[in-house]
Amino acid sequence: MQIIHRFSEMVKRLMLVRSLDPDDLRRKKLLNTLLVYMGLAAVIILISTLLAVLFHVYKLRDISLLLFGCLALIILNSLIFLLNKRSGRLAAWLFLVMLSFVLAASDTPQQIGNGSSMFVFAIPIATASLLLSPASGFAFAGLSAAIVAFIGVTNNFIPNIPTVVSFFILALISWLSARGLEQALKDVRAINANLDHLVQERTQELANSLSRERIEAGRSHAILESIADGVIVFDINGSAIIANPSSMRLLDLAYENVVGASIHDLSQSKPLDAESRSVLAGLLTSPGAQSARDHINWGKKTLSVTSAPVNDTQGAPIGTVAVFRDYTHEAEVERMKDTFLAIVSHELRTPLNAILGYAEMIKEAIYGPVNEKQARASDRIMTNSRRLLDIVSDLLDQGQMEAGKLALHVRPFRPADLIENVHGVMDKIAADKSLALTSELDPGLPIFIKGDIARLQQILVNLINNAVKFTEIGSVHIGLMRKDDQTWLLEVRDTGIGIPEAEIPTIFEAFRQVDSTATRKYGGFGLGLSIVKQLTELMEGQIIVTSKLGEGSCFTIMLPLLQAG
Amino acid sequence: MDELAMVVEDDEDLAAIFTEALKKANYQVETIRDGLSAQRRIIQIEPHLVVLDMHIPYVSGAEILQQIRADIRLKRTTVVIATADALMGEAFNDIADFVLIKPITFTQLRDLTARLHRI
Repeated sequence: MQIIHRFSEMVKRLMLVRSLDPDDLRRKKLLNTLLVYMGLAAVIILISTLLAVLFHVYKLRDISLLLFGCLALIILNSLIFLLNKRSGRLAAWLFLVMLSFVLAASDTPQQIGNGSSMFVFAIPIATASLLLSPASGFAFAGLSAAIVAFIGVTNNFIPNIPTVVSFFILALISWLSARGLEQALKDVRAINANLDHLVQERTQELANSLSRERIEAGRSHAILESIADGVIVFDINGSAIIANPSSMRLLDLAYENVVGASIHDLSQSKPLDAESRSVLAGLLTSPGAQSARDHINWGKKTLSVTSAPVNDTQGAPIGTVAVFRDYTHEAEVERMKDTFLAIVSHELRTPLNAILGYAEMIKEAIYGPVNEKQARASDRIMTNSRRLLDIVSDLLDQGQMEAGKLALHVRPFRPADLIENVHGVMDKIAADKSLALTSELDPGLPIFIKGDIARLQQILVNLINNAVKFTEIGSVHIGLMRKDDQTWLLEVRDTGIGIPEAEIPTIFEAFRQVDSTATRKYGGFGLGLSIVKQLTELMEGQIIVTSKLGEGSCFTIMLPLLQAG
Repeated sequence: MDELAMVVEDDEDLAAIFTEALKKANYQVETIRDGLSAQRRIIQIEPHLVVLDMHIPYVSGAEILQQIRADIRLKRTTVVIATADALMGEAFNDIADFVLIKPITFTQLRDLTARLHRI
């Protein structure tokens, strides 16, 4: 096998021709092939002739010319073969000339000059247009004509003129077809070259965009690797496909326990309370729906979590990204704030309650008769204690609302009770300023409606406090009305100084009163209206303020009407 | 003879004010400042009215309330809860007769309890 392989390699090397011009290369290869076949034919003829002589079929004498011819042909062939490696053109000329003469000698002069053997000259003529330039067929038509003429002259006969003419016709046909072939080859080569160029361009573009993408991806990767927030990307089937180092650090899990895991798997890795479990589960079921207060207690850590859907460029969902943040410190601060508020609430209220109580007892003459001045003084003590208590309550409420911890206790109540309670608390305060506190209950309201009566009372008390504060003469009016089947209204109307229209949007901001001189004149802390607004929003209601400077203001709270039963 | 009332309140001043208010409402008042003493005393007397603070030492107001409600002897006793915690007040609204959220004023307690006499 190896010998065959070596032999074929050797033949290949022997047949190898080099040229930069593709046409030249093609011609050289063609010439090589022709030379090899012709040489082989000569060798076979030589061997078979020798065998015939050996077995006495022919006498050596009779066929010596054939033997020598074959031998000469083999030698010439070999020489041309070698020459073809250097100059294909010269080799081709020599080959064709040799072929012409060999063919001329292949039959009797009569046959060659005037007989049917004239056709053999078609071979060098047609071959010339392929081996040399397309037009060179004419040269060999000429050579063939000259040979035929020479044979005719030397043997005293007139060569066949139409056949000689047909040599040139054949050369013309060869010329046309070879030229067509070369043109077609040239076109194919041009198309190939163009294709090569396109392929090269595309490859370059692809390489560029790949390297751009790699740079881009590298940058995103570096960001993801270095941020303190834990980022886990889940695919559409809910299993984690990307997890950055921070996520593993925050969750105390190894890479292989995160990537490939589902949310359920993750929630199994630590003993979790039910709330944390549901927050975690909600990450994938409702991405983007987490609030700032959604935390999970993860071992000793508190983590805040948010998630968002990931869409492809067409907007189709392809997964979810979850972001984990260490919230342990903030949670601790929040707990301390809550404790602080609870303590402040109790510790401030108790002594204030005592002050209020003693002032009342003095005024009620528990400790003996009081004169008018003493009674007024204890009144002042009581009023200011109440104000301080209100401020403490407002601060607590504000703190709770900001933390989103204020919950409503909705249950059926009688609107009439609400009015009665408000009168009980506010009548005296209005009376202290000689203002009338009037009220109106729309008979169209149901006997019972659902709501948080304590918080509704707080809204009214805050609004009335505000109205009383800014009203010097006239009245404050409370109205509870039904607007339609879905809405009822709380209204507090006063005959006070009014609010400049431009200031209305800002009056509900915490710690703000229209102008600071008003704060000095009318007192107050600016939390009341902010609490009213937040409570209203908590009850899914709306506030409308209308006011006219010097004539009074009207605060209307619109609330959804929830009928009891 | 005046009806018997019991004030359970750990804050000295508030206890004094509540006591005074109940006296003015014509009750004979016994003032107790912690849960344990209240628990011991409640089995000895039969008050018509109890003003009960929820945050008291040793035994919580809630426990005292359960004890009163479980005692057949005290089935006619009116319980007024006094608490600063509105949520807690809400929780005991059904068990107690009245829930007052602190601040509770002298006149408020006096006027309320004055209406609660049986005789």
